[in-house]
Amino acid sequence: MPQKVLYWKGCMSRFRTKSIADSIERLLTLIKVDYTTLGENEGCCGSVLYRTGQTSDALLVSKRTIDKIISLGVEKVVTGCPGCFRTMSQDYTNTFKSVPFEVQHISQFLFNIRDRLKDHLQPMDAKVVYHDPCHLGRHMGVYEEPRALIKMIPEVQLLEFKYNRNKALCCGSGGGVRSAFPEVSLEVAKSTLGELPEGTEIVVTACPFCKYNFTEANAKKIQIMDLPELLLRAWGG
Amino acid sequence: MSDEWFTSKRDEFMKWLYDENRRRGLSRAVSSYTAARDYALACLPHLEKTRREVRKIKESAIEQMDELRRIASERITESHGNAYFARDAEEARKMFEKLVGSNKTVVKSKSLVTEEIHLNEALERNGNKIFETDLGEFIIQIRGEKPTHIINPSVHVPKEEVAHTFSKLVGREVKPDIQELVGVAREYLREKFCKADIGITGANVVAAETGTLFIIENEGNARFVSNAPPVHICITGIEKIVPALEDAFKVVQVLPPYATGILMSAYVSMITSPSRTADIEKTLVYGAHGPKELHVIFLDNGRSRMLKDPVFKEALYCLRCGGCMYECPVYRVLGGSFGHNYFGGIGIIWSAFTAGEESVAAAIDACTKCGRCKEVCPLEIDVPKMVECLKSRLVEKGYLANRHRIIKENILERGNPFGE
Repeated sequence: MPQKVLYWKGCMSRFRTKSIADSIERLLTLIKVDYTTLGENEGCCGSVLYRTGQTSDALLVSKRTIDKIISLGVEKVVTGCPGCFRTMSQDYTNTFKSVPFEVQHISQFLFNIRDRLKDHLQPMDAKVVYHDPCHLGRHMGVYEEPRALIKMIPEVQLLEFKYNRNKALCCGSGGGVRSAFPEVSLEVAKSTLGELPEGTEIVVTACPFCKYNFTEANAKKIQIMDLPELLLRAWGG
Repeated sequence: MSDEWFTSKRDEFMKWLYDENRRRGLSRAVSSYTAARDYALACLPHLEKTRREVRKIKESAIEQMDELRRIASERITESHGNAYFARDAEEARKMFEKLVGSNKTVVKSKSLVTEEIHLNEALERNGNKIFETDLGEFIIQIRGEKPTHIINPSVHVPKEEVAHTFSKLVGREVKPDIQELVGVAREYLREKFCKADIGITGANVVAAETGTLFIIENEGNARFVSNAPPVHICITGIEKIVPALEDAFKVVQVLPPYATGILMSAYVSMITSPSRTADIEKTLVYGAHGPKELHVIFLDNGRSRMLKDPVFKEALYCLRCGGCMYECPVYRVLGGSFGHNYFGGIGIIWSAFTAGEESVAAAIDACTKCGRCKEVCPLEIDVPKMVECLKSRLVEKGYLANRHRIIKENILERGNPFGE
């Protein structure tokens, strides 16, 4: 009997990259995960407030969110947003000592139950490069699960940026830069996309901010996808 | 509060972002640096161990910064040099003004600390003629610009622009051929070294127990500057002092590969006293072939405040290799506008302590806190943590970007940053 899981969408997937949230919900249903969401009441994890130095507001907002999650009685929170993932894992525990629920990024959650995906992924003849989101990789140390999931898709060729994992470049949208200096954010994204390995057909990331910013900066018209979107595309029933 | 603090920085950013020349110069430098650095690190497998040892050396040296300064000053004085302590930039400038006087010819090798205290402007006001002799500094001095990288100050100027600048300087057409450009600078500066009254340098590391200054360089200009004129003045931050020569040698091993991607710098000068000889009747006299006078100014200017702060103390470990700047995704597009008197993430922290927090109130909002600088730093300095803490202090003082304020209001009122 699987424990009840909260799928926390995060503001980007609720409002700007809805296809990521839709893909995650579809995948969770397909692999029969008993999950719930907070729907319209989800609110904010506080990440953007922590990252822009608005610490007292961040505390207020994260306290509200923690109480909301506790009242649901779930043991595990799964999110597709590395910003939410880091905030709920690191900032919450730094600030409130401990919280009575476990937080996982969708890539970790899917990796742990990868047997349920295994026989359903159809071959995909594509050269895919994985971009490590800063909050997921450097800040939380999750590098291998997303790669392992991509490699589960038969025939996919996984390429690497010259600088990857803890040396990966940044998409340019984190830390409130996208809102403070959108032009800077866009130029950083262009410069990172300029480092794509030869022959890349699809850039896969595991962060709605990265996907959104890369999509805006994508002059070469390479496909930019989030990990759950790629897995759903490969899903053949 | 008016938002001039923010808009003026944004304007500066925009000038950098869309200046093709600067971006081209910067991007060429980034690819040359990363390739060279990767090669150097592959050639020096033991460096992994050495850089960890240097981290330990700095951790302990910084804790005894005042004591090490006292020891170094004593040793320098015993060796017939003069040691001074400047609490802030103004004190340091006054010391220089007294030592240099007026209407002198001064040659300088690269020193970011002299930029920190705005030395050139002060000396020029007294009618002194200053010649920057590091090629990069020389280029930007003639162009009337400010350094944009701590190791490679003219990183933003491509060769075509240098050729244009040099053509005007020497009154004939100089081709954008890098070898030829270097030749022009060599020819122009050569006589200045010997005619100068005073040479001014920084120091990369100082060994307290012998009072020895280490100056690491590739061009050979710092040797000239510290050797040819009759007076040598060295200014360095108090955080550069390590206990012993063997500690300093470890720093010397780590700096070149990370700073410029070379296995070892062309020249490492170790200076412990003024030039001296006792060859005639064993009678010691000073000023043989090198300088007769050596003056060393140890500068605080915010460093003690950094030491007292548990979050920012770590910034004092910075060796100033500048490797993190080439590796910073934001510096790569914003260059020297990303910071104030020091650049990149660590530069934001250093600017805050040496020039005031307000000086980086807007620049800090361009940091994505991606954490790459920490990964590439030989001392693994946790810059993103410091940047977040500084940002939080700035917000408390009212430096909050309009967009960030709106996002906060949306979150508090509507539960999401978009207000939808």
